[in-house]
Amino acid sequence: MASHPQNPVRTGPVGGHPRRPAAPAHVRRQSRFGLSIVLPALILFVALLLVPFLRSLGFAFFESTLFSPEPKFVGLENFRDLFSDRVFLETWLRTLFYVGITTGVTVVLGFAWALVLNQAFTGRKVIRTATILPWILPSTVTAFLWAWIFNGQFGLLNAVLDAAGAIGAPVVWLSTPTGAMFAVILAKVWLSTPVAMSFLLAGLQSVSSEEIDAAMMDGCRAGNIIRHVILPHIFPTLVIVFVLQAMANFQQIDTILAMTRGGPARTTTVLSIEVYQKAFNEWDMGHASAIGVVWFLTLAVPTVVYLRAIFKRF
Amino acid sequence: MIPLSHAHERWILRILIAVFVFFLLAPVVWMISTSFKPPEEIFRTSPSLIPDAPTWRNYLRAFTETDILKYLGNGLIVSSLNAGLTTVLAALAAYGFAKFRFRGRKGLMLLMISAQMFPYAVLLISIYPMFQWSGLFDTRTGLVLAYLVFALPASIYILFSYMVNLPDELIEAARMDGAGEGLILRELILPLVIPGLITVFLYSFMWSWNDLLYSLTLITSEDKRTIGPGLLLTFLGEMEQDWGAAMAGSVIVSLPVVLVFSLLQRFFIQGLTAGAVK
Repeated sequence: MASHPQNPVRTGPVGGHPRRPAAPAHVRRQSRFGLSIVLPALILFVALLLVPFLRSLGFAFFESTLFSPEPKFVGLENFRDLFSDRVFLETWLRTLFYVGITTGVTVVLGFAWALVLNQAFTGRKVIRTATILPWILPSTVTAFLWAWIFNGQFGLLNAVLDAAGAIGAPVVWLSTPTGAMFAVILAKVWLSTPVAMSFLLAGLQSVSSEEIDAAMMDGCRAGNIIRHVILPHIFPTLVIVFVLQAMANFQQIDTILAMTRGGPARTTTVLSIEVYQKAFNEWDMGHASAIGVVWFLTLAVPTVVYLRAIFKRF
Repeated sequence: MIPLSHAHERWILRILIAVFVFFLLAPVVWMISTSFKPPEEIFRTSPSLIPDAPTWRNYLRAFTETDILKYLGNGLIVSSLNAGLTTVLAALAAYGFAKFRFRGRKGLMLLMISAQMFPYAVLLISIYPMFQWSGLFDTRTGLVLAYLVFALPASIYILFSYMVNLPDELIEAARMDGAGEGLILRELILPLVIPGLITVFLYSFMWSWNDLLYSLTLITSEDKRTIGPGLLLTFLGEMEQDWGAAMAGSVIVSLPVVLVFSLLQRFFIQGLTAGAVK
Protein backbone atom coordinates (compact mmCIF):
# COMPACT_ATOMS: atom_id res chain seq x y z
CA MET A 1 0.00 0.00 0.00
CA ALA A 2 1.44 3.35 -0.99
CA SER A 3 1.01 5.94 1.67
CA HIS A 4 3.11 9.05 1.45
CA PRO A 5 4.72 9.71 4.76
CA GLN A 6 7.26 12.19 3.45
CA ASN A 7 5.31 13.54 0.55
CA PRO A 8 4.98 17.25 1.31
CA VAL A 9 1.94 19.19 0.30
CA ARG A 10 2.56 20.37 -3.23
CA THR A 11 4.10 23.76 -3.13
CA GLY A 12 4.95 24.38 -6.75
CA PRO A 13 2.70 26.94 -8.33
CA VAL A 14 1.46 26.39 -11.86
CA GLY A 15 4.52 27.95 -13.44
CA GLY A 16 6.79 25.55 -11.66
CA HIS A 17 9.07 28.09 -9.99
CA PRO A 18 10.90 26.52 -7.07
CA ARG A 19 9.71 28.18 -3.90
CA ARG A 20 10.60 27.77 -0.25
CA PRO A 21 8.10 25.22 1.13
CA ALA A 22 7.60 27.11 4.36
CA ALA A 23 4.53 29.23 3.93
CA PRO A 24 2.65 29.73 0.70
CA ALA A 25 -0.72 31.08 1.70
CA HIS A 26 -2.75 28.32 0.09
CA VAL A 27 -0.74 25.64 1.86
CA ARG A 28 -1.38 27.25 5.21
CA ARG A 29 -5.02 27.57 4.33
CA GLN A 30 -5.14 23.87 3.51
CA SER A 31 -3.44 22.88 6.75
CA ARG A 32 -5.88 25.01 8.65
CA PHE A 33 -8.78 23.33 6.90
CA GLY A 34 -7.31 19.89 7.66
CA LEU A 35 -6.95 20.72 11.32
CA SER A 36 -10.40 22.28 11.51
CA ILE A 37 -12.17 19.16 10.25
CA VAL A 38 -10.24 17.01 12.71
CA LEU A 39 -11.27 19.33 15.52
CA PRO A 40 -14.86 18.15 16.24
CA ALA A 41 -13.76 14.53 16.66
CA LEU A 42 -10.76 15.71 18.64
CA ILE A 43 -12.82 17.77 21.08
CA LEU A 44 -15.21 14.91 21.81
CA PHE A 45 -12.31 12.50 21.99
CA VAL A 46 -10.62 14.64 24.61
CA ALA A 47 -13.85 15.13 26.58
CA LEU A 48 -15.07 11.54 26.51
CA LEU A 49 -11.95 9.41 26.25
CA LEU A 50 -8.74 11.21 27.09
CA VAL A 51 -9.83 13.28 30.09
CA PRO A 52 -11.93 10.49 31.66
CA PHE A 53 -9.08 8.06 31.11
CA LEU A 54 -6.48 10.29 32.76
CA ARG A 55 -8.87 11.23 35.54
CA SER A 56 -9.58 7.56 36.26
CA LEU A 57 -5.86 6.85 36.34
CA GLY A 58 -5.49 9.75 38.75
CA PHE A 59 -8.23 8.36 41.02
CA ALA A 60 -5.97 5.37 41.63
CA PHE A 61 -3.84 7.51 43.94
CA PHE A 62 -6.76 8.72 46.01
CA GLU A 63 -9.01 7.24 48.60
CA SER A 64 -12.52 7.80 47.41
CA THR A 65 -15.34 5.68 48.69
CA LEU A 66 -18.99 6.05 49.50
CA PHE A 67 -18.04 6.80 53.11
CA SER A 68 -15.32 9.30 52.28
CA PRO A 69 -16.57 10.91 49.07
CA GLU A 70 -14.07 13.78 49.33
CA PRO A 71 -11.01 12.25 47.57
CA LYS A 72 -7.94 12.05 49.81
CA PHE A 73 -4.46 11.58 48.33
CA VAL A 74 -2.96 8.30 49.52
CA GLY A 75 -0.07 7.79 47.09
CA LEU A 76 0.54 4.19 46.19
CA GLU A 77 -1.51 2.75 49.01
CA ASN A 78 -4.26 1.41 46.75
CA PHE A 79 -1.67 -0.48 44.73
CA ARG A 80 -0.05 -1.83 47.89
CA ASP A 81 -3.45 -3.11 48.95
CA LEU A 82 -3.95 -4.81 45.60
CA PHE A 83 -0.63 -6.55 45.42
CA SER A 84 -0.88 -7.85 48.95
CA ASP A 85 -4.36 -9.16 48.26
CA ARG A 86 -4.46 -12.77 47.15
CA VAL A 87 -7.98 -12.36 45.84
CA PHE A 88 -6.82 -9.64 43.45
CA LEU A 89 -3.83 -11.63 42.23
CA GLU A 90 -6.16 -14.55 41.56
CA THR A 91 -8.45 -12.27 39.59
CA TRP A 92 -5.51 -11.04 37.56
CA LEU A 93 -4.34 -14.58 36.78
CA ARG A 94 -7.92 -15.63 36.02
CA THR A 95 -8.17 -12.79 33.52
CA LEU A 96 -4.99 -13.93 31.77
CA PHE A 97 -6.41 -17.44 31.67
CA TYR A 98 -9.76 -16.28 30.32
CA VAL A 99 -8.18 -14.01 27.70
CA GLY A 100 -5.53 -16.54 26.71
CA ILE A 101 -7.87 -19.49 26.26
CA THR A 102 -10.67 -17.49 24.65
CA THR A 103 -8.35 -15.72 22.23
CA GLY A 104 -6.38 -18.84 21.34
CA VAL A 105 -9.44 -20.97 20.69
CA THR A 106 -11.17 -18.18 18.75
CA VAL A 107 -8.21 -17.64 16.45
CA VAL A 108 -7.74 -21.37 15.81
CA LEU A 109 -11.44 -21.91 15.10
CA GLY A 110 -11.66 -18.72 13.05
CA PHE A 111 -8.69 -19.82 10.95
CA ALA A 112 -10.07 -23.31 10.40
CA TRP A 113 -13.46 -21.89 9.46
CA ALA A 114 -11.86 -19.37 7.10
CA LEU A 115 -9.91 -22.17 5.39
CA VAL A 116 -13.16 -24.12 4.95
CA LEU A 117 -15.05 -21.09 3.59
CA ASN A 118 -12.23 -20.37 1.18
CA GLN A 119 -13.00 -23.66 -0.60
CA ALA A 120 -15.62 -23.87 -3.34
CA PHE A 121 -18.77 -25.76 -2.35
CA THR A 122 -22.50 -25.41 -2.91
CA GLY A 123 -24.19 -23.06 -0.51
CA ARG A 124 -20.91 -21.45 0.48
CA LYS A 125 -22.18 -17.88 0.25
CA VAL A 126 -25.36 -18.54 2.18
CA ILE A 127 -23.49 -20.41 4.88
CA ARG A 128 -20.89 -17.68 5.17
CA THR A 129 -23.53 -14.99 5.59
CA ALA A 130 -25.73 -16.98 7.97
CA THR A 131 -22.90 -18.01 10.26
CA ILE A 132 -21.97 -14.36 10.86
CA LEU A 133 -25.05 -14.25 13.07
CA PRO A 134 -23.38 -14.87 16.47
CA TRP A 135 -21.29 -11.74 15.92
CA ILE A 136 -24.20 -9.37 15.43
CA LEU A 137 -26.56 -10.53 18.17
CA PRO A 138 -26.78 -8.16 21.14
CA SER A 139 -24.56 -9.33 23.99
CA THR A 140 -27.49 -9.69 26.36
CA VAL A 141 -29.14 -12.02 23.87
CA THR A 142 -25.95 -14.07 23.59
CA ALA A 143 -25.79 -14.31 27.35
CA PHE A 144 -29.43 -15.41 27.63
CA LEU A 145 -28.98 -17.93 24.87
CA TRP A 146 -26.03 -19.62 26.49
CA ALA A 147 -27.45 -19.37 30.00
CA TRP A 148 -30.51 -21.20 28.67
CA ILE A 149 -28.41 -23.87 26.95
CA PHE A 150 -26.35 -24.33 30.13
CA ASN A 151 -29.45 -24.29 32.33
CA GLY A 152 -29.13 -26.91 35.03
CA GLN A 153 -32.66 -28.28 34.90
CA PHE A 154 -33.97 -27.94 31.37
CA GLY A 155 -30.90 -26.89 29.40
CA LEU A 156 -30.12 -28.30 25.99
CA LEU A 157 -26.60 -29.28 26.96
CA ASN A 158 -27.71 -31.53 29.81
CA ALA A 159 -30.40 -33.07 27.58
CA VAL A 160 -27.85 -33.89 24.87
CA LEU A 161 -25.25 -35.21 27.30
CA ASP A 162 -27.88 -37.23 29.09
CA ALA A 163 -29.16 -38.72 25.83
CA ALA A 164 -25.60 -39.64 24.94
CA GLY A 165 -25.21 -41.28 28.32
CA ALA A 166 -22.33 -38.99 29.24
CA ILE A 167 -23.78 -37.77 32.52
CA GLY A 168 -25.77 -39.60 35.15
CA ALA A 169 -27.45 -36.59 36.73
CA PRO A 170 -28.03 -33.08 35.37
CA VAL A 171 -25.10 -30.71 35.91
CA VAL A 172 -25.87 -27.24 37.23
CA TRP A 173 -23.18 -25.73 35.01
CA LEU A 174 -23.39 -22.08 35.95
CA SER A 175 -23.23 -22.86 39.67
CA THR A 176 -19.96 -24.77 39.50
CA PRO A 177 -16.68 -22.86 39.14
CA THR A 178 -15.39 -24.89 36.19
CA GLY A 179 -18.76 -25.09 34.50
CA ALA A 180 -19.33 -21.34 34.77
CA MET A 181 -15.88 -20.52 33.42
CA PHE A 182 -16.38 -23.00 30.59
CA ALA A 183 -19.74 -21.42 29.74
CA VAL A 184 -18.50 -17.82 29.62
CA ILE A 185 -15.48 -18.85 27.54
CA LEU A 186 -17.66 -20.82 25.13
CA ALA A 187 -20.13 -17.94 24.76
CA LYS A 188 -17.33 -15.52 23.90
CA VAL A 189 -15.62 -17.95 21.52
CA TRP A 190 -18.95 -18.50 19.81
CA LEU A 191 -19.62 -14.83 19.28
CA SER A 192 -16.05 -14.05 18.13
CA THR A 193 -15.34 -16.94 15.78
CA PRO A 194 -17.19 -15.24 12.88
CA VAL A 195 -15.19 -12.04 13.47
CA ALA A 196 -11.86 -13.85 13.33
CA MET A 197 -13.09 -15.82 10.32
CA SER A 198 -14.00 -12.65 8.40
CA PHE A 199 -10.58 -11.10 8.85
CA LEU A 200 -8.72 -14.30 8.06
CA LEU A 201 -10.87 -15.08 5.02
CA ALA A 202 -10.07 -11.64 3.64
CA GLY A 203 -6.41 -12.45 4.18
CA LEU A 204 -6.69 -15.89 2.57
CA GLN A 205 -8.18 -14.43 -0.56
CA SER A 206 -4.89 -12.75 -1.30
CA VAL A 207 -2.89 -15.99 -1.29
CA SER A 208 -1.77 -16.56 -4.87
CA SER A 209 -3.20 -19.64 -6.52
CA GLU A 210 0.00 -20.07 -8.56
CA GLU A 211 1.95 -20.81 -5.41
CA ILE A 212 -0.62 -23.37 -4.34
CA ASP A 213 -0.65 -24.94 -7.80
CA ALA A 214 3.14 -25.12 -7.79
CA ALA A 215 3.07 -26.87 -4.41
CA MET A 216 0.45 -29.28 -5.75
CA MET A 217 2.73 -30.08 -8.68
CA ASP A 218 5.46 -30.91 -6.21
CA GLY A 219 3.08 -33.44 -4.70
CA CYS A 220 2.06 -31.51 -1.59
CA ARG A 221 -1.16 -32.53 0.15
CA ALA A 222 -3.67 -30.11 1.65
CA GLY A 223 -2.03 -30.24 5.09
CA ASN A 224 1.39 -29.37 3.70
CA ILE A 225 0.02 -26.57 1.58
CA ILE A 226 -1.57 -25.03 4.65
CA ARG A 227 1.66 -25.34 6.59
CA HIS A 228 4.16 -24.26 3.94
CA VAL A 229 2.28 -21.92 1.63
CA ILE A 230 -0.74 -20.48 3.42
CA LEU A 231 0.51 -20.14 6.98
CA PRO A 232 3.59 -18.05 6.17
CA HIS A 233 1.48 -15.82 3.96
CA ILE A 234 -1.32 -15.30 6.47
CA PHE A 235 0.89 -15.02 9.54
CA PRO A 236 0.81 -11.20 9.83
CA THR A 237 -2.98 -11.25 9.64
CA LEU A 238 -3.09 -13.98 12.28
CA VAL A 239 -1.04 -11.79 14.59
CA ILE A 240 -3.32 -8.79 14.05
CA VAL A 241 -6.44 -10.88 14.60
CA PHE A 242 -4.93 -12.37 17.74
CA VAL A 243 -4.10 -8.95 19.16
CA LEU A 244 -7.50 -7.47 18.25
CA GLN A 245 -9.21 -10.43 19.87
CA ALA A 246 -7.01 -10.28 22.96
CA MET A 247 -7.89 -6.59 23.32
CA ALA A 248 -11.58 -7.32 22.92
CA ASN A 249 -11.45 -10.18 25.41
CA PHE A 250 -9.69 -8.02 27.97
CA GLN A 251 -12.55 -5.57 27.55
CA GLN A 252 -15.26 -8.22 27.61
CA ILE A 253 -17.78 -7.66 30.32
CA ASP A 254 -21.35 -7.77 28.99
CA THR A 255 -21.76 -11.51 28.44
CA ILE A 256 -20.13 -12.40 31.75
CA LEU A 257 -22.12 -9.80 33.65
CA ALA A 258 -25.37 -11.11 32.21
CA MET A 259 -24.54 -14.83 32.48
CA THR A 260 -22.90 -15.16 35.88
CA ARG A 261 -22.35 -11.66 37.33
CA GLY A 262 -18.82 -12.85 38.03
CA GLY A 263 -19.95 -15.77 40.17
CA PRO A 264 -20.30 -18.34 41.55
CA ALA A 265 -18.02 -17.17 44.38
CA ARG A 266 -16.02 -14.84 42.07
CA THR A 267 -14.87 -17.71 39.85
CA THR A 268 -15.75 -15.84 36.64
CA THR A 269 -14.74 -12.43 37.96
CA VAL A 270 -12.21 -11.03 35.52
CA LEU A 271 -10.66 -7.56 35.78
CA SER A 272 -13.42 -5.84 33.82
CA ILE A 273 -16.07 -7.26 36.16
CA GLU A 274 -13.91 -6.46 39.19
CA VAL A 275 -13.55 -2.79 38.21
CA TYR A 276 -17.28 -2.55 37.57
CA GLN A 277 -18.24 -4.17 40.88
CA LYS A 278 -15.72 -2.15 42.91
CA ALA A 279 -16.82 1.09 41.29
CA PHE A 280 -20.57 0.70 40.93
CA ASN A 281 -21.52 -1.80 43.63
CA GLU A 282 -19.06 -0.90 46.36
CA TRP A 283 -18.51 2.71 45.18
CA ASP A 284 -14.81 2.34 46.00
CA MET A 285 -13.45 4.47 43.16
CA GLY A 286 -9.86 4.49 44.43
CA HIS A 287 -9.39 0.75 44.36
CA ALA A 288 -11.47 0.39 41.20
CA SER A 289 -9.15 2.83 39.45
CA ALA A 290 -6.02 1.15 40.77
CA ILE A 291 -7.29 -2.13 39.35
CA GLY A 292 -7.97 -0.24 36.13
CA VAL A 293 -4.35 0.89 35.97
CA VAL A 294 -3.08 -2.67 36.35
CA TRP A 295 -5.66 -3.81 33.81
CA PHE A 296 -4.63 -1.11 31.35
CA LEU A 297 -0.94 -1.94 31.65
CA THR A 298 -1.69 -5.63 31.06
CA LEU A 299 -3.69 -4.67 27.99
CA ALA A 300 -1.20 -2.11 26.71
CA VAL A 301 1.52 -4.63 25.89
CA PRO A 302 -0.37 -6.46 23.10
CA THR A 303 -1.83 -3.18 21.88
CA VAL A 304 1.56 -1.61 21.37
CA VAL A 305 2.55 -4.62 19.28
CA TYR A 306 -0.58 -4.10 17.21
CA LEU A 307 -0.11 -0.39 16.77
CA ARG A 308 3.48 -0.83 15.66
CA ALA A 309 2.27 -3.29 13.06
CA ILE A 310 -0.39 -1.01 11.61
CA PHE A 311 1.70 2.11 11.85
CA LYS A 312 4.39 0.73 9.62
CA ARG A 313 1.96 1.74 6.91
CA PHE A 314 1.07 5.19 8.12
CA MET B 1 -8.55 -22.28 -2.33
CA ILE B 2 -6.78 -25.58 -2.03
CA PRO B 3 -7.61 -28.15 -4.72
CA LEU B 4 -8.67 -31.33 -2.91
CA SER B 5 -7.61 -34.34 -4.93
CA HIS B 6 -8.29 -37.06 -2.40
CA ALA B 7 -11.70 -38.36 -1.48
CA HIS B 8 -10.92 -38.36 2.22
CA GLU B 9 -9.87 -34.71 2.08
CA ARG B 10 -13.25 -33.86 0.61
CA TRP B 11 -14.88 -35.80 3.42
CA ILE B 12 -12.93 -33.88 6.04
CA LEU B 13 -14.14 -30.67 4.41
CA ARG B 14 -17.77 -31.80 4.54
CA ILE B 15 -17.48 -32.81 8.16
CA LEU B 16 -15.86 -29.49 9.07
CA ILE B 17 -18.65 -27.58 7.33
CA ALA B 18 -21.24 -29.56 9.26
CA VAL B 19 -19.48 -29.09 12.60
CA PHE B 20 -19.03 -25.35 12.19
CA VAL B 21 -22.55 -24.75 10.94
CA PHE B 22 -23.86 -26.72 13.89
CA PHE B 23 -21.67 -24.89 16.42
CA LEU B 24 -22.50 -21.42 15.09
CA LEU B 25 -26.17 -21.83 14.27
CA ALA B 26 -27.60 -24.49 16.60
CA PRO B 27 -27.77 -22.05 19.56
CA VAL B 28 -29.72 -19.56 17.43
CA VAL B 29 -32.06 -22.27 16.16
CA TRP B 30 -32.56 -23.33 19.75
CA MET B 31 -33.42 -19.77 20.77
CA ILE B 32 -36.02 -19.52 18.00
CA SER B 33 -37.40 -22.98 18.77
CA THR B 34 -37.77 -22.20 22.47
CA SER B 35 -39.48 -18.90 21.69
CA PHE B 36 -42.33 -20.81 20.01
CA LYS B 37 -42.81 -23.42 22.75
CA PRO B 38 -45.55 -23.49 25.36
CA PRO B 39 -44.28 -23.78 28.97
CA GLU B 40 -44.92 -27.50 29.28
CA GLU B 41 -42.59 -28.12 26.33
CA ILE B 42 -39.92 -25.71 27.58
CA PHE B 43 -39.73 -27.26 31.03
CA ARG B 44 -39.12 -30.79 29.93
CA THR B 45 -35.90 -32.67 30.52
CA SER B 46 -35.84 -34.24 27.05
CA PRO B 47 -36.82 -31.30 24.85
CA SER B 48 -37.59 -31.55 21.14
CA LEU B 49 -36.07 -29.34 18.46
CA ILE B 50 -39.36 -28.61 16.68
CA PRO B 51 -42.14 -27.48 19.03
CA ASP B 52 -44.97 -30.03 19.15
CA ALA B 53 -47.57 -27.31 19.55
CA PRO B 54 -45.98 -24.05 18.36
CA THR B 55 -47.46 -20.91 19.88
CA TRP B 56 -47.16 -17.12 19.59
CA ARG B 57 -47.93 -16.71 23.27
CA ASN B 58 -44.34 -15.97 24.26
CA TYR B 59 -44.18 -13.15 21.71
CA LEU B 60 -47.51 -11.79 22.83
CA ARG B 61 -46.34 -11.82 26.43
CA ALA B 62 -43.03 -10.20 25.52
CA PHE B 63 -44.93 -7.37 23.85
CA THR B 64 -47.71 -6.97 26.40
CA GLU B 65 -46.17 -7.88 29.74
CA THR B 66 -42.78 -6.24 29.26
CA ASP B 67 -41.70 -2.79 28.08
CA ILE B 68 -39.81 -4.23 25.17
CA LEU B 69 -41.35 -1.80 22.66
CA LYS B 70 -40.14 1.11 24.74
CA TYR B 71 -36.65 -0.42 24.94
CA LEU B 72 -36.65 -0.96 21.19
CA GLY B 73 -37.69 2.64 20.58
CA ASN B 74 -35.01 4.01 22.91
CA GLY B 75 -32.40 1.71 21.42
CA LEU B 76 -33.31 2.77 17.91
CA ILE B 77 -33.11 6.49 18.75
CA VAL B 78 -29.86 6.27 20.68
CA SER B 79 -28.13 3.89 18.26
CA SER B 80 -29.08 5.76 15.08
CA LEU B 81 -28.08 9.12 16.51
CA ASN B 82 -24.82 7.71 17.76
CA ALA B 83 -24.08 5.97 14.46
CA GLY B 84 -24.82 9.16 12.52
CA LEU B 85 -22.66 11.25 14.82
CA THR B 86 -19.80 8.75 14.76
CA THR B 87 -19.89 8.57 10.96
CA VAL B 88 -19.80 12.35 10.50
CA LEU B 89 -17.06 12.92 13.07
CA ALA B 90 -14.95 10.01 11.80
CA ALA B 91 -15.31 10.99 8.13
CA LEU B 92 -14.17 14.56 8.81
CA ALA B 93 -11.30 13.51 11.03
CA ALA B 94 -10.16 10.70 8.73
CA TYR B 95 -10.06 13.05 5.72
CA GLY B 96 -8.10 15.58 7.73
CA PHE B 97 -5.59 12.97 8.84
CA ALA B 98 -5.31 11.30 5.44
CA LYS B 99 -4.94 14.24 3.09
CA PHE B 100 -3.64 17.24 5.01
CA ARG B 101 -0.34 17.98 6.65
CA PHE B 102 -0.43 19.90 9.89
CA ARG B 103 1.65 19.89 13.00
CA GLY B 104 0.89 17.07 15.44
CA ARG B 105 -1.05 15.10 12.84
CA LYS B 106 0.72 11.82 13.38
CA GLY B 107 0.74 12.08 17.17
CA LEU B 108 -2.95 12.94 17.32
CA MET B 109 -3.91 10.08 15.04
CA LEU B 110 -1.81 7.66 17.07
CA LEU B 111 -3.36 8.87 20.30
CA MET B 112 -6.90 8.55 18.99
CA ILE B 113 -6.36 5.05 17.63
CA SER B 114 -4.60 3.83 20.74
CA ALA B 115 -7.69 4.85 22.70
CA GLN B 116 -9.12 1.49 21.65
CA MET B 117 -7.25 0.05 24.59
CA PHE B 118 -8.66 2.37 27.23
CA PRO B 119 -10.72 -0.07 29.30
CA TYR B 120 -14.39 0.89 28.97
CA ALA B 121 -15.19 0.18 32.61
CA VAL B 122 -12.30 2.43 33.66
CA LEU B 123 -13.57 5.29 31.49
CA LEU B 124 -16.98 4.82 33.02
CA ILE B 125 -15.58 5.59 36.49
CA SER B 126 -14.95 9.17 35.35
CA ILE B 127 -17.76 9.52 32.82
CA TYR B 128 -20.29 8.74 35.56
CA PRO B 129 -19.50 11.75 37.80
CA MET B 130 -18.88 13.97 34.74
CA PHE B 131 -22.36 13.19 33.48
CA GLN B 132 -23.84 13.88 36.89
CA TRP B 133 -22.30 17.36 37.02
CA SER B 134 -23.22 18.23 33.47
CA GLY B 135 -26.78 16.97 33.59
CA LEU B 136 -26.13 14.31 30.97
CA PHE B 137 -26.68 11.53 33.46
CA ASP B 138 -29.83 9.51 32.82
CA THR B 139 -30.45 11.20 29.47
CA ARG B 140 -30.52 9.68 26.01
CA THR B 141 -28.30 12.52 24.79
CA GLY B 142 -25.69 11.47 27.32
CA LEU B 143 -25.84 7.89 26.14
CA VAL B 144 -25.48 8.96 22.49
CA LEU B 145 -22.31 10.83 23.45
CA ALA B 146 -20.95 8.12 25.74
CA TYR B 147 -21.22 5.55 22.96
CA LEU B 148 -18.63 7.52 20.98
CA VAL B 149 -16.18 5.80 23.31
CA PHE B 150 -16.80 2.44 21.64
CA ALA B 151 -16.67 3.10 17.94
CA LEU B 152 -15.08 6.48 17.25
CA PRO B 153 -11.40 5.44 17.40
CA ALA B 154 -11.83 2.38 15.18
CA SER B 155 -14.11 4.31 12.81
CA ILE B 156 -11.50 6.98 12.24
CA TYR B 157 -8.99 4.30 11.41
CA ILE B 158 -11.35 2.46 9.04
CA LEU B 159 -12.18 5.62 7.08
CA PHE B 160 -8.55 6.69 7.16
CA SER B 161 -7.63 3.46 5.34
CA TYR B 162 -10.18 4.31 2.66
CA MET B 163 -9.19 7.93 2.20
CA VAL B 164 -5.44 7.55 2.27
CA ASN B 165 -5.71 5.41 -0.86
CA LEU B 166 -7.49 8.08 -2.90
CA PRO B 167 -5.03 9.66 -5.33
CA ASP B 168 -3.81 13.13 -4.32
CA GLU B 169 -3.94 14.15 -7.98
CA LEU B 170 -7.72 13.95 -7.86
CA ILE B 171 -7.95 16.52 -5.07
CA GLU B 172 -5.27 18.62 -6.66
CA ALA B 173 -7.14 18.69 -9.96
CA ALA B 174 -10.33 19.81 -8.23
CA ARG B 175 -8.39 22.60 -6.52
CA MET B 176 -7.00 23.71 -9.87
CA ASP B 177 -10.56 23.96 -11.08
CA GLY B 178 -11.19 26.32 -8.21
CA ALA B 179 -13.25 24.06 -5.97
CA GLY B 180 -13.18 24.96 -2.29
CA GLU B 181 -12.06 22.43 0.31
CA GLY B 182 -15.54 21.90 1.69
CA LEU B 183 -16.95 21.30 -1.77
CA ILE B 184 -14.18 18.81 -2.60
CA LEU B 185 -14.95 16.84 0.54
CA ARG B 186 -18.69 16.84 -0.03
CA GLU B 187 -18.89 16.31 -3.76
CA LEU B 188 -15.75 14.34 -4.52
CA ILE B 189 -14.37 12.49 -1.51
CA LEU B 190 -17.45 11.33 0.37
CA PRO B 191 -19.14 9.74 -2.67
CA LEU B 192 -15.96 7.75 -3.27
CA VAL B 193 -15.91 6.24 0.22
CA ILE B 194 -19.60 5.37 0.60
CA PRO B 195 -18.82 1.71 1.39
CA GLY B 196 -16.55 2.94 4.17
CA LEU B 197 -19.25 5.25 5.49
CA ILE B 198 -21.74 2.38 5.51
CA THR B 199 -19.25 0.19 7.35
CA VAL B 200 -18.65 2.78 10.02
CA PHE B 201 -22.34 3.54 10.43
CA LEU B 202 -23.17 -0.15 10.90
CA TYR B 203 -20.18 -0.76 13.13
CA SER B 204 -21.11 2.02 15.53
CA PHE B 205 -24.80 1.13 15.32
CA MET B 206 -23.99 -2.44 16.35
CA TRP B 207 -21.83 -1.29 19.23
CA SER B 208 -24.52 0.90 20.71
CA TRP B 209 -27.37 -1.50 19.95
CA ASN B 210 -25.49 -4.33 21.64
CA ASP B 211 -24.14 -2.46 24.65
CA LEU B 212 -25.10 -3.47 28.14
CA LEU B 213 -22.55 -1.87 30.47
CA TYR B 214 -22.92 1.84 29.69
CA SER B 215 -26.65 1.82 29.36
CA LEU B 216 -27.01 -0.14 32.60
CA THR B 217 -24.88 2.38 34.46
CA LEU B 218 -25.73 5.73 32.88
CA ILE B 219 -29.49 5.29 32.57
CA THR B 220 -31.57 4.87 35.68
CA SER B 221 -35.14 5.73 34.62
CA GLU B 222 -37.16 2.85 33.28
CA ASP B 223 -38.61 4.82 30.42
CA LYS B 224 -35.18 5.65 28.97
CA ARG B 225 -33.78 2.14 29.14
CA THR B 226 -32.35 0.55 26.02
CA ILE B 227 -32.59 -3.10 25.06
CA GLY B 228 -29.55 -4.57 26.86
CA PRO B 229 -30.42 -3.57 30.42
CA GLY B 230 -34.10 -3.67 29.51
CA LEU B 231 -33.95 -7.38 28.73
CA LEU B 232 -31.60 -8.16 31.58
CA LEU B 233 -33.57 -6.41 34.28
CA THR B 234 -36.86 -7.79 33.02
CA PHE B 235 -35.82 -11.41 32.81
CA LEU B 236 -33.58 -11.46 35.85
CA GLY B 237 -36.25 -9.63 37.76
CA GLU B 238 -39.98 -10.11 37.71
CA MET B 239 -39.96 -12.65 34.88
CA GLU B 240 -37.04 -14.76 36.03
CA GLN B 241 -37.02 -18.30 34.65
CA ASP B 242 -39.60 -17.36 32.02
CA TRP B 243 -37.39 -18.73 29.28
CA GLY B 244 -40.10 -18.72 26.63
CA ALA B 245 -40.66 -14.98 26.90
CA ALA B 246 -36.91 -14.36 27.35
CA MET B 247 -36.16 -16.13 24.09
CA ALA B 248 -39.02 -14.39 22.29
CA GLY B 249 -37.72 -11.05 23.58
CA SER B 250 -34.23 -11.99 22.43
CA VAL B 251 -35.47 -12.76 18.94
CA ILE B 252 -37.37 -9.48 18.80
CA VAL B 253 -34.43 -7.28 19.78
CA SER B 254 -32.08 -9.18 17.46
CA LEU B 255 -34.23 -8.66 14.38
CA PRO B 256 -33.38 -4.98 13.69
CA VAL B 257 -29.61 -5.58 13.58
CA VAL B 258 -30.02 -8.80 11.65
CA LEU B 259 -32.18 -7.04 9.04
CA VAL B 260 -29.88 -4.06 8.59
CA PHE B 261 -26.87 -6.30 8.56
CA SER B 262 -28.19 -8.73 5.96
CA LEU B 263 -28.85 -5.80 3.61
CA LEU B 264 -25.41 -4.28 3.98
CA GLN B 265 -23.17 -7.13 5.05
CA ARG B 266 -21.03 -7.19 1.90
CA PHE B 267 -19.83 -3.61 2.39
CA PHE B 268 -19.49 -4.15 6.07
CA ILE B 269 -17.16 -7.14 6.07
CA GLN B 270 -15.03 -5.67 3.30
CA GLY B 271 -14.77 -2.33 4.98
CA LEU B 272 -13.92 -3.74 8.36
CA THR B 273 -11.29 -6.20 7.21
CA ALA B 274 -9.65 -4.01 4.58
CA GLY B 275 -7.51 -2.11 7.07
CA ALA B 276 -6.15 -5.19 8.75
CA VAL B 277 -5.11 -7.31 5.78
CA LYS B 278 -3.88 -4.84 3.23
